[in-house]
Amino acid sequence: MLEVKGLNKTFGDLTAVDEVSFTIRPGEIMGLIGQNGAGKTTTFRIILDLLTADRGDVLWNGDIITNKVFNTVGYLPEERGLYPKVTIENQILYFAQLRGKKPKDIKPLIDDWLEKFQVKGKKTDKVKTLSKGNQQKVQLICTLIHQPKLIILDEPFSGLDPVNADLLEEGIKEAQANGACIIFSSHNMNNVEDLCDSLIMLRNGKQILHGSVKEIREQFGRTRLFLESDLTKEELLEFNGVTHVETTREGISIVHLRSTEDGKAIFNGATKHGYIPMFSQQPPTLEEIFKQMAGEKNE
Amino acid sequence: MSKYWVITKEVYKKNVKSFGFIAMVLSPLIVMLFIGGLIYYFSREDVNQEPVQIALISEEAGLSDVFQGGDWNLEVDESITSESEAEDALVNEAIGGYLVIESEEDTLSIDIVHAGELSEYIPMFSELFSNYQTMLRAGTLDLTPDQVMSLSEPVELNERQVSIVEETLTTEDTTDTMVQQFGAYFVSIAIMIFIMTYAGIIAEEVASEKGTRIMEIILSSASVTSHFFGKLTGVMLILLTQLSLYAAVGLGAYFYFRNSDFVQQITQTIDIGALLQELMGFTIIFFIAGVLMYVVLAAFFGSLATKMEDVNKAVTPIVFLALAGFYVGLFAFNVPDHMLNVVFSYIPLFTPFVMPFRIAAGTVSTLGIWLSVVGTIAFALLISVVSLAFYRSNVLIYSDTNIIGTIKRSWSIMKSNKQAKRRRAIN
Repeated sequence: MLEVKGLNKTFGDLTAVDEVSFTIRPGEIMGLIGQNGAGKTTTFRIILDLLTADRGDVLWNGDIITNKVFNTVGYLPEERGLYPKVTIENQILYFAQLRGKKPKDIKPLIDDWLEKFQVKGKKTDKVKTLSKGNQQKVQLICTLIHQPKLIILDEPFSGLDPVNADLLEEGIKEAQANGACIIFSSHNMNNVEDLCDSLIMLRNGKQILHGSVKEIREQFGRTRLFLESDLTKEELLEFNGVTHVETTREGISIVHLRSTEDGKAIFNGATKHGYIPMFSQQPPTLEEIFKQMAGEKNE
Repeated sequence: MSKYWVITKEVYKKNVKSFGFIAMVLSPLIVMLFIGGLIYYFSREDVNQEPVQIALISEEAGLSDVFQGGDWNLEVDESITSESEAEDALVNEAIGGYLVIESEEDTLSIDIVHAGELSEYIPMFSELFSNYQTMLRAGTLDLTPDQVMSLSEPVELNERQVSIVEETLTTEDTTDTMVQQFGAYFVSIAIMIFIMTYAGIIAEEVASEKGTRIMEIILSSASVTSHFFGKLTGVMLILLTQLSLYAAVGLGAYFYFRNSDFVQQITQTIDIGALLQELMGFTIIFFIAGVLMYVVLAAFFGSLATKMEDVNKAVTPIVFLALAGFYVGLFAFNVPDHMLNVVFSYIPLFTPFVMPFRIAAGTVSTLGIWLSVVGTIAFALLISVVSLAFYRSNVLIYSDTNIIGTIKRSWSIMKSNKQAKRRRAIN
């Protein structure tokens, strides 16, 4: 179990991480979101002991994290790189050895992993002969092959096409099933919604959102109404609490409400004559929340 | 296997198998082979050269016997007996020149006419005919051959070059000095070449890992110390491999060619044993400490680069330092006891370039040598520790500022980490 308690890190006048706390239990996935420069990478570096926090603790299974747990960590940095002139096999073996594994234990696994991630190339090929996407997959294999218990992925989905993104999702879910604690950052809110049990949003180092995706979305109220009815845009705007109305090409109205309660009157109005094909009142999407929160000024 | 050795092995394996390393090891051998081939070719050319034809115009019979038996490349054309014939022959390039020898009693007077081909033989002619004249005069004086010998016996010259060390005169073997100076010169060039090469290798190693973020993966797997020293050890092992290969090739070549004239000639002029002894002494300490210091610095500067492309820019300060050291060393070769050289020989980064020349010239006391050795090693250790401290934070900085900016940021990260650790220790 990973416990992060009240982390604080400053560089001179800049507070990079300010009172960040969270817990990830075995088999749980946490998403870390925030704009560039929000403090995500610094948080990862503190967890990895590359930086020392000014205050706060990072505990792994109850003990302060030190380089002793290095062997149970799988880390994928934001910008990816491998040694171009080394073969795929040697590359995987090298990183596995740095995680305390013996080559003879890892060697028999390599073929299966290459197949699982559909890497196009033989294990004796040099890394530089692979396409960028395949190199990225080799790097993922390097991150996961030693069965780490703490997995930290910095923007793992960036640059992956939808097929490869699915492969990565599967890989992450498999590690989750094996009981790993997983934390990843992403700018793609769909990945976060799909995968995460919980998420944290950072802004200027501060933790401004924390909870499960559902909890966070619910905090913002069901203020988006997807409606397919006879009501015109003008009629909708006359209802109390309607801030504005968009109409999609398919003729669906997206009504923005001030509060969840405002939906009731519209429901009654829309169903006055009986059946309507769509009335779906939802909280804002994670992406909308992200944009809204990122745009807000610092309190 | 500890992670330190995993890193060392990886650095070593990756580089030794690379084309760059093979080319680097082979290129000096190829150059030497080429130069050796040229020397061999020209020496053969010399031997096979047609002898220069000359004519001797003289009343004196038997003068041509003077030219018998020597290993000079001259042949007397006996058929030419008059000056006009000789002139014609010279015009037709049948002969390289002619000598008109007139003798009046026991005094010779010689005119040498040539078109440049005999220039190198003039001193030899002078000596040959002087001897001949001596023989003639000995004949008039009725001297016995023994008496002539005793007259022409050269004086005994004993050279004793001394050095003034600690206000006393020390006798010095001049061949030893030559060997030492040759050793110092060799080391100075070798240090320069090895620094340039290996500083480049390690800086590139570090910068490429940092630029590709492999560094972050490694530093989340192994300690900074294991990584830094693993890399250093790996690079030093590559250096050792290169040196061993050269030693093996050198030994092989020596045993294969040791009976050839060329090698015999060299071993006669240079005492290989003394040279090796010289190289194995202080010189090797300076060599190793020198390369180590610069390689550590290169690792440090390499860690300041953000991208691979910046490596050359990042190691420029080291190149300039090494160049400065090299030139001061060359200056020391000529004026070993100049104040500047004395000062520079104690500045650790320059010691390996300057001190060997001062030792060779005998202008430094044993205490001085040991001081500089201890100073150099201590400094190498010191910069290792400082570089290591910076290295940890350097590798986390990717901003595109200049080197000074990166050092400043690195310093602030280092300070922040230190303060944080101290605070934690107190709590």
